[in-house]
Amino acid sequence: MATAQKRDAKIRKTSLKLNTELVLGAAVLGAIILFSLIGPLFVDRDDSLLGKFPPGLKPNSTNLLGTDLQGRDIFTTLVYAAPQTLQVGALTGIISLGLGAFMGVLAGFFPGRMDDVIRFVSDILVAIPAIAFLMVFVARMENPSIYVIALSISFLAWPGPARAIRSQVLTLRERQYIAIARANGEREMEVLFREVLPNVFPLLLAMFIGAVNGGIGTAMALEVLGLVATRRYLSLGLMVFWVQRMGGILRGMWWWWGPPILLIALIFTGLLFLSSGMNIFVNPRLASYGAAAKRKTNARIKELLLARKTAAKKMAPPNSEAILEVRNLSVIYETADGPVKAVNDVSFFIRPGERMGLIGESGSGKTTAATALMRLSRPPAYITTGQVLLEGRDLMSISDEELRRMRLKEIAMVPQAAMNALNPVMRIGDQIKDGLIVHEGRMSKAALNQRVAEVLEMVNLPLEIAQQYPHQLSGGMKQRATMAIAVALRPKVILADEPTSALDVVVQKRVMVTLMRLQRELGAAVILIGHDIGLMTQFVDRLGVLYAGKLVEWAPVEDVLTNAFHPYSRMLIESLPTLTHKKRLIGIPGMPPQLLNLPAGCPFVPRCPLAFDRCQTETPEPQWMDAQRQVTCHLYPEHKTLPPLPLRELEAVVAAGG
Amino acid sequence: MTKYIIRRVLQFVLIVFIANSLTFIVPRLVRGDPITEFLNNQQILNPNPEFETWVADYKARFGVDRPLWQQYLSFWAGVLKGDFGYSITAFPQTVWHRIRVALPWTIGLVSTGTLLAFLVGALLGALLGWPDAPQIFQWLVPVLMILGGIPFWLFSFAVIWLFAVELQLFPPSGGINMLDVLIQGNTLQAHVTSILQHAALPIFVFVIFGIGGWGLSMRANLIMTLGEDYILFAHAKGLPERRIFLRYGVRNALLPVITALAMAIGGIISGSTLLESAFSYPGLGGVVGTAIGQRDYFVISGAAFFMILSSALALLLVDLLYPLIDPRVRYQ
Repeated sequence: MATAQKRDAKIRKTSLKLNTELVLGAAVLGAIILFSLIGPLFVDRDDSLLGKFPPGLKPNSTNLLGTDLQGRDIFTTLVYAAPQTLQVGALTGIISLGLGAFMGVLAGFFPGRMDDVIRFVSDILVAIPAIAFLMVFVARMENPSIYVIALSISFLAWPGPARAIRSQVLTLRERQYIAIARANGEREMEVLFREVLPNVFPLLLAMFIGAVNGGIGTAMALEVLGLVATRRYLSLGLMVFWVQRMGGILRGMWWWWGPPILLIALIFTGLLFLSSGMNIFVNPRLASYGAAAKRKTNARIKELLLARKTAAKKMAPPNSEAILEVRNLSVIYETADGPVKAVNDVSFFIRPGERMGLIGESGSGKTTAATALMRLSRPPAYITTGQVLLEGRDLMSISDEELRRMRLKEIAMVPQAAMNALNPVMRIGDQIKDGLIVHEGRMSKAALNQRVAEVLEMVNLPLEIAQQYPHQLSGGMKQRATMAIAVALRPKVILADEPTSALDVVVQKRVMVTLMRLQRELGAAVILIGHDIGLMTQFVDRLGVLYAGKLVEWAPVEDVLTNAFHPYSRMLIESLPTLTHKKRLIGIPGMPPQLLNLPAGCPFVPRCPLAFDRCQTETPEPQWMDAQRQVTCHLYPEHKTLPPLPLRELEAVVAAGG
Repeated sequence: MTKYIIRRVLQFVLIVFIANSLTFIVPRLVRGDPITEFLNNQQILNPNPEFETWVADYKARFGVDRPLWQQYLSFWAGVLKGDFGYSITAFPQTVWHRIRVALPWTIGLVSTGTLLAFLVGALLGALLGWPDAPQIFQWLVPVLMILGGIPFWLFSFAVIWLFAVELQLFPPSGGINMLDVLIQGNTLQAHVTSILQHAALPIFVFVIFGIGGWGLSMRANLIMTLGEDYILFAHAKGLPERRIFLRYGVRNALLPVITALAMAIGGIISGSTLLESAFSYPGLGGVVGTAIGQRDYFVISGAAFFMILSSALALLLVDLLYPLIDPRVRYQ
């Protein structure tokens, strides 16, 4: 709950942070508004009347921008036309957004009939080309004012904002903290105003800019078409209309059409900068893709790679019995608030045919670590130090091309969230085949199909699956399909990243059994990543426990079960129910720490029942107890085993809701 | 599948029906009838002594003397027969005739322009979204943003001034110069040359200022797509960068852009109104521009009918074709 609320609050904060584009947009629009505000102080309104000056004068000392064919002073006309155009936009923005927000919130909060009616109406309105409706409508009006124009445009423009707001309201309603607020007895309307609206606000702001843009564009279209060419109406669009009507372009009167068009283009550019500045909220991934961001990270990556290489030289020779050896692997996330150490100095190894589990709470860095093992980390994640030796070759320092050839063939991954790991527009068979072709070269169609049939059989999937698309499969079948891809080339190491997390319990077990059978048949080493220690201990030989990015314990699984060294792993074991004897289950009080700006000292300190002074001030380093065991704790090497935990006290803390 | 198609077609009919009913009824509730208004204006310019009978005569001929509901029914009866009434300003001429003559011009101009803009834009967008593209391309993003953010017809003036008035490379307006064609011997080749010469500038405006929108949306889709889990898994499979980009990235990123293209083609008739009127192009936009200037109400509403029809048709087309390009969407 806390995280969702914090994330929303954080999004709100970043969205309102100024960036160059917002400043630029505000500056351009501000200048135009200023122009229309102080302009009237310098000109005489009468100069914009018909026939005031000789027609068609070039710019001169009296007529700064010359005169048009109707004898108006163009500069004066601009001064009085610009605010009208801005007003139409602002009015349309306010009306259509107000209407849209009202309808959207209504639809989002009262699903069912209300939602259906609003959707039906907006579906129809969206299908009507605005210009078609407006031209028949406005053509019937005598001297329409800008208010009428803004209202008519909004009548067709509200469904867009309404839809966006409806879906936003629906997502926010799903969030737990809103359910909690409701459970706490806040009434629906209170929830709406206190919890939902502040979250929708940045979106509203971004959509307002869009609505203003649309309003100005549509109004201008009506003006240029001559639908509002009346005496009460003076606007930039109408200036363009007169130019067009009187052939100002063919007469070469650039001073007539140039200024209004330039001003219109400026208005749109200003709005554009504003909305693209707001994109950081609406679409963070897109925003972080800018040229500057990329240049910065490219430079950083080079630096990191260099540091990694020099560090590699100092390392000891590889462990000859290991198939995969990880040494001092660290991964950071670059965030706006500074780097976050998601994986911190992790070392372990795995021998051929062995199964190792890597376990941790969410946010402990296990998926980050798994991704880094194959050098698949994507920005903002960067591997800062470490080696990953696959049969002695360091995956972190070989070339991209060498690494690409090793992926799938030597080391393969069964991804987390198999739901999204398959290309939705490619048949399963083709997704198996492309891996085969890339690594083994072209082969005959029959041979390819034969191989596909083999791997599908290996994971107990029927052959027809090859012809199907991912969305036609169940979750368990998709997970099997990703497994089929992963084992197709008989890799030596398989990384299985929470292969069962999205499946129900029965399917989980079956998928795990298949994975373990495959592992045996292929003789591959498997690194199994997960958070379910109960499931994990049934399948692995060796267990690593991650906490706050650190490998706090690494040992053969029996040793962890019977004689864990780290208080955290011990407490994890204590939290497991057993079938053989009844006991009180004890949880671990407290929450994992925030990784940003982690203070000195052991990250587990606030939750550790055995913490002493040194743990508060000094960060423990991983230490090897023997060739098969590591622990990251200040209790060692003074102690030989973990002192007994004060379980009764812990029980009291947990019972008190700590 | 038959059920799916029937449902979509019914939806199409419903949209066309409701939208056109709205555009028929709402304006008529505003004030008076267009005939009296038109004749009032004529009266000022060119007084007619028997004004009253004149008005009554015209009202009867255009059927606006009857109650609104009767007009409404005969409007639909007429539509079913392809009869949209008469033009006020060019009386014996029917609205349908004016539109029929104009439609091929609009369709030719705008579909060429839209397709060209789409092709160039989508290619550019894909290039901009490609992680390994040369850095220099990133500087195109703000340029495309500005080109895509400003209504494209605005630039027609600058383009006409530069290429038609100052440089005199292309004709500034119209769709074909029959005099030229006759001088050239009235051959097919002369026709085509003249048409292309006249279409060059409007299409140029379309393409230069349309690629911004297409390019940026393609780039945005691509960036979103490249963040998907299946891209990561494709990398884990050791596929070459180029294959991942094309088969996994572009293929998926194209789907929403293709929908947008279909919608844009549906908007052809309404979207080009301003461009055509800036170039005095003989298409529907030009007809609308002239009709507005002459307050020829029946031509305006006839054109509106076709705008609604074409965009509803595009919606229908998207619904029917989408299952073919995206396997996740099935006819259901």
